[in-house]
Amino acid sequence: MADVTLNALGKKCPMPILLTKKELNKMSSGQTLELIVDDKGALKDIPAMVNTTGNELVSTNESDAEIRFVIKKA
Amino acid sequence: MQKVCFIVGEDSFEKFMMSGILGTTGAALDTEMHFFFTFFGLNLLKKSFRPKVAGMPFPMKRMAAGMFKAKMKKYGVEDMWGLIKDAVQDGKMKLYPCEMTMSLMGIKREQMWEFVEDPVGAASFLEMAEGARIVSL
Repeated sequence: MADVTLNALGKKCPMPILLTKKELNKMSSGQTLELIVDDKGALKDIPAMVNTTGNELVSTNESDAEIRFVIKKA
Repeated sequence: MQKVCFIVGEDSFEKFMMSGILGTTGAALDTEMHFFFTFFGLNLLKKSFRPKVAGMPFPMKRMAAGMFKAKMKKYGVEDMWGLIKDAVQDGKMKLYPCEMTMSLMGIKREQMWEFVEDPVGAASFLEMAEGARIVSL
């Protein structure tokens, strides 16, 4: 289980990125965030954001209805 | 830290949204996002200004802005000025009005949002953009 869960279903660019960053800012180092989205653009955008901000993308799980990311705060 | 500088010279709904989306996203990517507003782009910084859609034919320009806004709201996209204000307060996004074109266009600092930076000239913007990527919108 992740420490924090963020449900961004129904939200499109740029909201998944902005909400994820806001949530990460509130967390402490080593904590994990599970992000649930259905915006297909997030498949490329979330890894790009996680990389440039120096955090870690632990996993990506894509199903028909949604994509689940687990991100570990650096 | 990475830095991108934008020149915004037009006041359409499209240019405003492009500036807002790229600016707030860049800020979330820990990139410094500087915006230099000049000529008609300055209108976007005015609190009373409601941009219209340039890409629509004449009688539909204002209505289209309302339609796009309503659609984006359905996508969960929050009010763009609210998002921009957050990014400015985080210190990553900065909005600079161009001093000379402000007087040319008769636009006053008091008409603009409080979180807009002090007006600067061309040389200040170019100095700020030293070594950064520059994008003209």
